[in-house]
Amino acid sequence: MGDSQRSGMRRMALASVAVGAMLAVLPVAGFAQTTPDFSGVKVALVTGGAHPYFQPWKVGGAQAVTDFGIGGTAFDESGEWDQTKETAAINALAAQGYNAFGIFGVSPTDINTVFETLKASGFAVGSIASCPAGDVNKADFCLSTDTKTAAYLAAQGAIEAMGGAGNLVHLTGNAVDSNTQQRIAGVQQAVDETAGAVTLLTTVTDIDKDLQSAQKAVADLLAAQGADINGIVTTAYNPAVAATDGVKTTGLPIKVIAIDDDPVVLQAIRDGIISGTVVQNPWGQAYVGSWVLSALQSGACTMNTPGLIVDSGSFLVTTVTVDTYDAQRLATSMDILAKFQTEYMTCAA
Amino acid sequence: MTAATGSVAARRPRLRADSLLVRTLITAVVFLAFALTTNGFLNPQFTVYPLLRDTATLTVIGLAQLCALAIGQLNLAVGRMAAVAAMVAGYCYQFLGLGLIEGALLGLTAAAATGALTGLIIVRAHVNAFIVTLAMDFALLGLVLAFYQAFTAPLNAFTVKPEGMDLIRNGSLNGLCIGDMCGPSWVPVLFLFSLLIVALVSVFFSRTTLGRELLATGSNERTARLSGIPTERRIVQAHTLSGLLAGLAGIMLAMTNGSFSAAIGENLLIPSFLGPVLGGTPMTGGFVSAPGTAVGTFLTQTIRQGLTLKGIGLDWLNIALGLVLLAALSVGQIRRRRGRS
Repeated sequence: MGDSQRSGMRRMALASVAVGAMLAVLPVAGFAQTTPDFSGVKVALVTGGAHPYFQPWKVGGAQAVTDFGIGGTAFDESGEWDQTKETAAINALAAQGYNAFGIFGVSPTDINTVFETLKASGFAVGSIASCPAGDVNKADFCLSTDTKTAAYLAAQGAIEAMGGAGNLVHLTGNAVDSNTQQRIAGVQQAVDETAGAVTLLTTVTDIDKDLQSAQKAVADLLAAQGADINGIVTTAYNPAVAATDGVKTTGLPIKVIAIDDDPVVLQAIRDGIISGTVVQNPWGQAYVGSWVLSALQSGACTMNTPGLIVDSGSFLVTTVTVDTYDAQRLATSMDILAKFQTEYMTCAA
Repeated sequence: MTAATGSVAARRPRLRADSLLVRTLITAVVFLAFALTTNGFLNPQFTVYPLLRDTATLTVIGLAQLCALAIGQLNLAVGRMAAVAAMVAGYCYQFLGLGLIEGALLGLTAAAATGALTGLIIVRAHVNAFIVTLAMDFALLGLVLAFYQAFTAPLNAFTVKPEGMDLIRNGSLNGLCIGDMCGPSWVPVLFLFSLLIVALVSVFFSRTTLGRELLATGSNERTARLSGIPTERRIVQAHTLSGLLAGLAGIMLAMTNGSFSAAIGENLLIPSFLGPVLGGTPMTGGFVSAPGTAVGTFLTQTIRQGLTLKGIGLDWLNIALGLVLLAALSVGQIRRRRGRS
C-alpha cells in the first residue's frame, strides 16, 4: 500500500470516527430513540466500473450497516463501464437476495430502464452519483453531485486564480456521457460570464478511463500549448491527478483547479503547486443513500416526491481549507440525511 | 478424387460435428457446475432470462465477425457498424416518426452499406483488412459522435421508444401460448430470434453457392480465383453481410438497453471474437460454425454470470475468461493437427 493510499484510508477511518461522534450527539430526525428495523434489507452499491472515485462508497456503505443495523451491504464494480455488464451485475446481486440498490448508471440515457425493472420487482432503487439523463428519474431518488454547478464552481475558481483573464483549458471524461456535457456547459457558462476576458482554448474529453491515458493527454497538451495556457480546470478524477503531476513536473506557471481529493491533489494544494480542487461527496452518497434505501425497502418511510433529485454537495478546497474541508463535507452529509428524514420522506412514527 | 482424399473429405464434417458436440457438452457441464454450486444461478428472472438475452445479442455480433473470419479476414469495426445502425434507426424513430420495423430496416441498410464500403476499400486499395477496418472504426467513431452531438446534445442519445420496443426488451415465450399451454417466462423473445439468425447463417454457409464460395475464398483466395470464383466480389459481400449482422446486433442492444446512444457498440469487439473462436471457427478462414458461435457465446456468458454470482473480483473474472479462450484455441489447434495427421 502506497503513502497516498494509507493517507486515504486514514482519512476515511477518521471520518468514520467523526460520524460516530456526530450520530451520538445529533438527534437525527426522531430516529435517535426509535430506530427502524433495517435487518431485512441488503443494500447493493453498484458502480459503473472500477474507479478511485467510488472507493469511499465501500467505507460509507459499511459504516451505514454498522450505524443503522442494515442487514448487509455489497460493493460491486464489475460493470467495466458497459451498461450491459453493469445490468448483469445488478441482476446477479438481485438473484443473491439483495433488495435495495444504489446505482451509478453507466449510460444515463439507459439506466431508467434498469430502474423500472428493479422497481417492478419490488426493490428500492436510488440513482447515486449520477442522475438519469433528461427530465425523468425512475429511481426512488437521485443523490448526486450537481455536475454542472460543480464544473461552474471549478471554472470560476480557475478563472479567479488566473486573475480573471487568459486562456483556459478544460480536461474531462467520456464525451458520450450526458454528465460530461453538463460539465462542459458549466465551464462554458463561467467562461461566458467573463465577457471575452477568458478564452476556452480547448476541451479535452475521453481521458478519464485510466491515469495513464490522462497523463499522456496532459503531457501532449503541455508540450504543444503549455506556453499559451494560463489555467486548467479538470472535471474528472484521472485528468485532475494528471494535470497536477504535469504542472508539477514542467514547472509551468499554470493555475490548476482539480476535482476530487486524491492525496496527490491535496498535497499539491498544500505545496502551492495547484490552486485548489472541487471535492465531491462519495462517502456521503453511500452512507446517506444506504439509509434512504433501507428506509424505503423496509417500509419505514416513503418518498414525498418519487424521483426527487438531491445535490450531494461539492466544495471548493483551497490552501485555506485543505485540512478542514472533511468536517464541512461530513456536516453536509448529516444535513442531507436529516433532510431526507424530515423533509423529503414521510416516515412512520 | 482418390480413395484417400475421399476418405479425408468424408471424415471432416464428422470431425466438425464431433467438435460442436464436445463444445456443447463442455458448455453444459460448466452450466451445471455453476447451477449446482452457485446460489441464485437458476433464478429465472435475474439470472437465466438476462443470460439468454445477452447471449442473443452477443451471438449476433459474433456472427458478424464470423462472416469476416469466413474469408480469412477480421472486422475490427463491428462495434461501430452496430453504432451506425442504432444511430440511423434512432434518428428515424425520433425525427421521422417511423415504426419499429421501418427504422430498423433503414439502420440495417446503413450498416450493410458501411460494411460494403469497407469491403470495397479492401479490394480496391489492396490494403490489409486489419488496417482498413481499424481505420474505419476510428472514422465511424468520429462520425457517430458528431452525429449524436449535432442532433441530440446534450443527451447524446435518441430516447424515443417506438411501439413494440418494450416487448422486444421484456418479451418472453410466456407470451406465446397454444391453448392453455404457454412458453417459459425465462426464455426471451430475443433469444429465439437470435437462434433463427444462427440457423439462417448456418444454412447460408453450408447450403448456398454464395456461402460456399465465401468459404472457398477464405480457404485459399488464389485457388478460388483460379477456379472461377470472383473473389474480390465475395470479399465485398462478406463485409456487407458482416456490417448487416453487426447492425442487427446494434439495434438489438439499443432495444435491450432502452435508448439509441453513441456508446452502443463500444464494448462489442472482444465478444465478437469470443463466440466464433470458442465455437470452433478458425481465424484463418475457410470454415465457420454458426451454431458453435451461439454455443461459444453462451459459454462465455455462463462463465461471466457464474463468476459474478460467486462474487469473484473483476481481475479474476477476466483472467478466467482469458484462460478459457486460450484453452479453446489450444484444443482447436491440437484437433486440427490430429485431423491433418
